[in-house]
Amino acid sequence: MAIANTLVPERDTRALLVKWIVGLLVPISVFTFLWSGEAIINQSLLTILGLGGVSDIGILIQITLFIIVFYTTVIALAGYLVAADSGQRGMIALWVDIAVYVLLPLFLVISQNNLIIGIALSAVLLLVYFFIRRRVYKALRITTVPPLQNLNALDAEQQVALKKRAIMGSFWFSVVFAIVWLIVDLIFYFNGQLPTTLLIWVVIRTLLLPVVGYFLGRLAGVIALRRTLVAKGNGNGENTTDGDGKRIKQRQLEKLSATRMREEAKDLVPNDLPQRSSGAMRFYLILLVAFVLFYPVLDQYLFGFGTNGRLAGYGDAGYYVILALGLNIVVGFAGLLDLGYVAFFAIGAYTWGIFGSTQLTNVLNLAAINPHRLSALFWPMVIVAALVAALFGVLLGIPTLRLRGDYLAIVTLGFGEIVPIVFLELDQYTNGTNGIVGVHSPSFFGVNWSVVTPVPYYYLILALIAFSIFVNVRLRDSRLGRAWIAIREDEIAAASSGVNLVTTKLFAFAMGAFFSGIAGAYHTAKLGLVSPDSFSFGDSIIFLAMGVIGGLGSIPGVIVGALLVYTLNVFLPAQLDASATDPTSVFFGINNAIVHFIPSFTFGNVRNLIFGILLVVIMIFRPEGLIPSARRRRELHHTEDEGVEVGALDVVPGAPGFESEVRVE
Amino acid sequence: MVISVTIFFQILVVGLTTGAIYALIALGYTMVYGIIELINFAHGDIFMIGTFICISIFGLFGITNSSAAPTGLTLVGVLVITLLASMVLCAVLGIVIERVAYRPLRNAPRLAPLISAIGVSFILEDVGKLWKGITIVPFPQIFPQRFYYIGPVSFSSVDILVIVVALVLMVALQWMVTRTRTGRAMRAVAQDREAAALMGVNVNRIIAITFFIGAALAGAAALIWGLKYGNTNFTLGFTLGLFAFTAAVLGGIGNLVGAMLGGVLIGVIEALSSLICDTTQPGCPIGLPHGGNAWHEAVIFIILILILVFRPSGLLGQQTPEKV
Repeated sequence: MAIANTLVPERDTRALLVKWIVGLLVPISVFTFLWSGEAIINQSLLTILGLGGVSDIGILIQITLFIIVFYTTVIALAGYLVAADSGQRGMIALWVDIAVYVLLPLFLVISQNNLIIGIALSAVLLLVYFFIRRRVYKALRITTVPPLQNLNALDAEQQVALKKRAIMGSFWFSVVFAIVWLIVDLIFYFNGQLPTTLLIWVVIRTLLLPVVGYFLGRLAGVIALRRTLVAKGNGNGENTTDGDGKRIKQRQLEKLSATRMREEAKDLVPNDLPQRSSGAMRFYLILLVAFVLFYPVLDQYLFGFGTNGRLAGYGDAGYYVILALGLNIVVGFAGLLDLGYVAFFAIGAYTWGIFGSTQLTNVLNLAAINPHRLSALFWPMVIVAALVAALFGVLLGIPTLRLRGDYLAIVTLGFGEIVPIVFLELDQYTNGTNGIVGVHSPSFFGVNWSVVTPVPYYYLILALIAFSIFVNVRLRDSRLGRAWIAIREDEIAAASSGVNLVTTKLFAFAMGAFFSGIAGAYHTAKLGLVSPDSFSFGDSIIFLAMGVIGGLGSIPGVIVGALLVYTLNVFLPAQLDASATDPTSVFFGINNAIVHFIPSFTFGNVRNLIFGILLVVIMIFRPEGLIPSARRRRELHHTEDEGVEVGALDVVPGAPGFESEVRVE
Repeated sequence: MVISVTIFFQILVVGLTTGAIYALIALGYTMVYGIIELINFAHGDIFMIGTFICISIFGLFGITNSSAAPTGLTLVGVLVITLLASMVLCAVLGIVIERVAYRPLRNAPRLAPLISAIGVSFILEDVGKLWKGITIVPFPQIFPQRFYYIGPVSFSSVDILVIVVALVLMVALQWMVTRTRTGRAMRAVAQDREAAALMGVNVNRIIAITFFIGAALAGAAALIWGLKYGNTNFTLGFTLGLFAFTAAVLGGIGNLVGAMLGGVLIGVIEALSSLICDTTQPGCPIGLPHGGNAWHEAVIFIILILILVFRPSGLLGQQTPEKV
C-alpha cells in the first residue's frame, strides 16, 4: 500500500508528469522506432534465441550493454527531471526546446544518413533559429524571466516529496513508454513485420519496464537530493540532521555576487531549467560515452554500409582532440600564445616514424629488426615520443621565457617554421621530401591491426583521448594548473605571490608538447607514413583555432572546438566535393552555379576562406569561444540572460554582504 | 673557402634590391604595430593581392606575357598609372580590412585581433587562389632590362627602378610623418592614444590613414616586385610577410627608419646565406646540407628569434620597461 501511495500523482505533479513524459517520449520513440533502436534489439534477441541475426558474440554483448545502459539512463533521467523541476516554466516552452535541440538534429542525421553532416546542418539551423528568436522577442517585447528567482531550501518533508516525485516520474514514464511500445509492436505484428517468437519478449518487456522504472526512480531521487539546498535548523544554531556542510553552502551562496550565485544556483534542485543543470549533464554524459564507446557496432544499424570509412574518418578526428587539449594547456591555461605548435607534432610524428620503420636501421646501419617486435614497440614508443616532444618543448621554451604576448607568439611561429625545414633538409636521417613510408601499426594480442583496419585505431584513439582528458582535468585542478592560470592573468602578481615563473612556464610547454607527441605518434602509425609537407604554419593556426573557437581554457570547449574545426576543415570540403559530383544532390547545382563565375572553384579550394571568415566572425561576436570556461565568460560577456538583479538577494549597503556586489575594476 | 670580392658585391646588389622591397612592406607592419600594437598578418597578403591587381591592370592595357612591351612615353604612362592604381586599390583594401576585422576588436584582449588578422590572411590567400589559381602566375616584365657594370659587378635597370621607387616612397613617408600635421597626429596616437584623443585628434581617422599608407606602400612594392622577379603566387604574401616582419622587428618595431634599415639588412642577409656551401657536395668543410639556399628561410627565422631573445627592442628601438 505504501508503494501504491507513492505511485499516484497529486494534482500539481500531474502537470509536471505530462510535461516531461511527453517531452522525453518523443525523442526516445524516434530513436527506438524510426532509427533502428528496435531493429538492434530485435536482431540481438533473434541471435540469442538462435535464429540468426548477429553472428559475433562480442558484438552481441556490446549491443546488449549499450541497450541496457541507454534505456536505464533515459528512465532515470526522466525521474531526475521530474524531481528537479520547480514547475515555474511552461510545458510549451519545454517542448519547443526539446523539438529544436533534440528532434531537429535527430531528424537531420537520419535524413542525411550521415552523422557529421546532420550535426553540421543542425548547427547552422540552430544559429538561424537563435537569430530569428531574438528578433521576434525584441519585436514582440517578450522578455524571458531569468531562471531561479528564489533559492528554496528544503526541509525534511519537502525532501520526501522530492523523492516521491522522482519515483513517480520514472515509473509513469516507463509505464507510458511500455504501453506505446506494446501498441507499436502489435501494429508491427499484425503487419507481419514482427516474428511471433518475439511476442514473448514484448510481454516480458511491458511487465518489466514499470518495475525497473520504480527502482530507477528511487535512484534518481537520491541523485536529485544530493543537489538540494537544505534548510537550516530552527535558528537556534543547532545542527540539522544533514550536518554542517549544507548550512554553510547556503550561507556561502548568499554571500557571493549575484552573477556567481546565479551560476551556482543553476545546478541546484529544484530548478526552473533542470534540463540544463549539471545533474542532468551527468546523465547526458553517460549517454554520450555509451554511444561513443559502442559506436563501431552500432554504426552498421544506424547508417548502413560504409562503417569502415566512417570509422577511419573519426579516428583521424581523434588526434585533433588530443592536439587541442595539449595546446589548451599552453595557450588556455598558461596564456602563452603558441603559434608554432605544429613543430612538436612533427617531432612526435617523426619519432615513431623513424623508430617504427626501417629508417632507423638504415641510417645506423644495424641489422634489421623483426617487424613484429617493432609493432609491439609502439606502446613504449608512444611515451618516448611524447617525452622527446616534451624535451623539445622545454628547449624551445627556454628562449621565450622573458618575452611577452606578441613577441612570444612570433618566436614560437619561427620555431614552427624552422622545425619542418630541419626535417626536410636533414634527409640523411629523415629521408627528406619523400618522407618515411612503411611505418608499422601497433600490435595487440591477436588483434589484426594495420593501416587498413580502422576499428582498433578507433578504440586506441578513444583510450588516448580518455587518458588526455583525465590528465588535463587533474592538471587543471592541481597547484601547477592554478599557477598557470595565475601566470596567465598577471605574471608580475603571480611572481610576487611565489610562483616560480621559469619552471611553471617550462612545464606548460613541456606538457603541451607531451600531448602533441602522443598525437604525432598516433598519426604516423595510423597513416603509415610521415612527410614534411604535412606540417606547416596553416596547421598551427588550425590547432590554435580549435582552442579559440571552442573556448580557451575550458576542456569540453576545446574538445568541441577540435571536432568542429576538423569537420569544417577536413571533413566537410571533401564531403561537399563528393556530393557535388552527384547530380541528385543539391550541392551539384550550387557548385555549377558558382563555377560559372569563378572557374577554379571547388569546395576544397574555399576551405581556408570559410575558415578565415569563421575566425573573424567568432572573434568579433563571441571571443570567449563556444563553450567558454566560467571565468572567461564572466570576463568577456556581460550580457546574455542577465536581466534585473535578483531581488531576493539584495543586501542593504553597509551590511557585510554588500561588498561582494561591487564590481572592482 | 674564399669568396671572391666580385661575388660578394654581386650578392650585395641582389640583397639591396630585395631588401628595398622588404623595407617597403616592413613599413606597413611597423606603422600598424606602432599605432595599435597589432601584428597585421594580413599585410603580406595585401602585397600578394597587389601583384594580382597589377597583372589585371596590365591586362586592361592589353599587356600580357606574350604581347610586346610598350616603349617610351607609353611605358612611363602605363607604369605610373599602374603604380597609382595599385597603391590606391591596396590602400582601400587595407582600410576595409581595418574597418571590418580590427576596429570592433580595438579594446579586446590581445589574442582576439591577432586571430582575426590570421583569419583575414586566410581569406585573402583563398581569394588569391580563386582569382589566379594555384600555379605560379607570370608577371609581364615590361621594364626594359639593360645591364650596367661597375667593374665586374653587374646590375640591371630594373634594380635601379626598384631602388629609386623605394627610396622616393620612403623619403616621402619620412617627410610626411615628421613635417605634416597628420604625421604628427600619427606619432601622437602611437605614443598615447587617449591623450591624443584628448588633444583633439580623431583617432579612428588616424588609424585608418595609417592602414591606408601602409597598404599603399605594399601596393607599390607589389608592382616593383613583379617587374623585377616576373612571377607571383598566392602563397607569396605569407613568406614575404614574415620576412618583412622580421625586418621590422630587427630595426625596432614602431620605428620607421628602423624598418627601412631592417629591410635592407634582411635582404642582404638572405642573399649572403646563399653563400653557405652544401655539405652533401665534396669540398665543403662547414655548411649546411643542401646549401644555404634551401635553408634561407630558417636562417632568417633564427635571426628573428635571436633578436627577440637578446634585443627585443631591435637595433634602433628604445628599451621600454614593463610597468606593473
